[in-house]
Amino acid sequence: MNIVEKILLNHSTEPVKTISPGDIATVGVDRAIIVDMAALHPEFVDNPPLRPFDPDKVSLVFDHYVPAPSIEIANRVNRLRKLVSRWGIRDFFDTGRGGISHVLGGELGWFKPGSLIANTDSHTIATGAFNTLGRGLGTPELMNIIATGKTWFMVGETLKAELSGSIRNGSSAKDVFFHIASVTGDIPGKNIEFAGTGIKTLGMDERSAISTMCAELSAEFAVFPVDDILRNYMDSAGVGDYRAIAPDRDAEYFDEIHIDMESVEPMVAMPDRIINNVKPVSELGRVNVDVAVVGSCANGRLSDIRDVAEVLRGKKINRNVRLTVTPASRKVYMEAERLGYLSTIIEANGLVTNPTCGACLGGHMGVVGDGDTVISSTTRNFKGRMGSSRASIYIASARTVAISALYGYIKGDLNE
Amino acid sequence: MNNITGKAWVFGDDINTDLIYPQICYTLPEAEKPFHAMEANRPGWATLVEAGDIIIGGKNFGTGSSRPAADNLKKLGISCIIAESVNGLFLRNAVNTGIMAIEASGVHDAVDEGDTITVDLENCKITDMVNKRSVAFMGLPPFLMEIIENGGIINVLRAKGLLGKPL
Repeated sequence: MNIVEKILLNHSTEPVKTISPGDIATVGVDRAIIVDMAALHPEFVDNPPLRPFDPDKVSLVFDHYVPAPSIEIANRVNRLRKLVSRWGIRDFFDTGRGGISHVLGGELGWFKPGSLIANTDSHTIATGAFNTLGRGLGTPELMNIIATGKTWFMVGETLKAELSGSIRNGSSAKDVFFHIASVTGDIPGKNIEFAGTGIKTLGMDERSAISTMCAELSAEFAVFPVDDILRNYMDSAGVGDYRAIAPDRDAEYFDEIHIDMESVEPMVAMPDRIINNVKPVSELGRVNVDVAVVGSCANGRLSDIRDVAEVLRGKKINRNVRLTVTPASRKVYMEAERLGYLSTIIEANGLVTNPTCGACLGGHMGVVGDGDTVISSTTRNFKGRMGSSRASIYIASARTVAISALYGYIKGDLNE
Repeated sequence: MNNITGKAWVFGDDINTDLIYPQICYTLPEAEKPFHAMEANRPGWATLVEAGDIIIGGKNFGTGSSRPAADNLKKLGISCIIAESVNGLFLRNAVNTGIMAIEASGVHDAVDEGDTITVDLENCKITDMVNKRSVAFMGLPPFLMEIIENGGIINVLRAKGLLGKPL
């Protein structure tokens, strides 16, 4: 069995000896994460589960609308807060305390290698960087999981992605993902397992950016193996009690791709979708931008904020560009502040916001208008995603966003 | 469950959740939400939908976020979604809100928009009653059909006494 099949088998609630594609796996989850968006689902706040299967395995994280941008949302999330005492939830992260659940969970050691995480949000696949299966499941399914501790998966085939080399100067993990996307296209219902010598050159931020973005391939799970980098990360998070999962020697994959990371130059996804819609920035031609955004579970991490600060140090962004930088978590925010990244960005005329999903979902903290051309390091560029359906959203790495903010048009590092 | 019959609306590949349930829906009154479905890709469509209509989609219908997109289509009056392929998260959300989402290879080309479609659930066959073309589909597993027949997972949980008082 491959990593996905083995982790599902280890969590099976049925007496099965093996898991293969086509099976329906009934599994118990190690942790269920509810985010503030649940407050906007009437079926949840009107009929919340009576009690959780285990209050210590349920987390409540406010991330999408932090702080509440309207009276309506403020009132709704106030209702959600009542869960904390009603259910006796220990892991509650209100405004100012945590950050984006997919980033916070990694920082707090919730994503233990070999574990299985359920979260309402579609970027839950991010946990794969930690050798953890995570799947966005929607609010009604989370209600079922909280009530019963169990859920199901239709087990899909798995693609093996062999990474070699290291990311070249000026490129980033986001660019590697775009290159992968250009090779695979979308793979709905299927999984990705990463392998190869290139993995050891990737830190947890880079792995997380790649696994997070695999949501855009419509993959079910995207999982990395365990190595010293992950083990050391878990040690520093104070987590030792886990059972890491490696693939069996005879593990089966429906296909195998080889990605030479050395060859990947800065890439960009053009508006409205990522699948079959990416190209090297060097082939884009001139596209002037109005708005530049750095943030999200994919690329609002410390290494992303560092890249932005490196680009902008001692400079001012183009006078026609509005740059918003949103650190992904309180920890990222504090570290970026301590290292001077935030003041560098502020001095360059960038706007630094509090941690939140913010502009990525078009909810607040950078909603875009009709005719705006946007370059963003966020996750998704569906029409209307970040506000107006008449805005054009290009997606790129944090570094490319920063360089574009500086020049006023979309520009990657190798292009200078 | 009885057969489903309705008029077809044909959409293309990769119809995503943000088209079906735009961001602004989150804070609108419940009754208004469905009328914003597909407004970015097909303005005015939602007002033309009649109760019982069926959506025919291309590949990866419902790709994107966990937002209640399937629920928005159900509340608009759509009785069934049939696509070349259905995104896994969308399928789960459809089942959990009590609406059929069916994968049927070849359905996109077999059905003409505006034609009356019949979904024969027993024989797993979809027929365009006007051009007479049919395609087969693979039925959903019984445990998912049971959730749909109960009107969604919330009803199932309520019947088991697993839901509490409003917050």
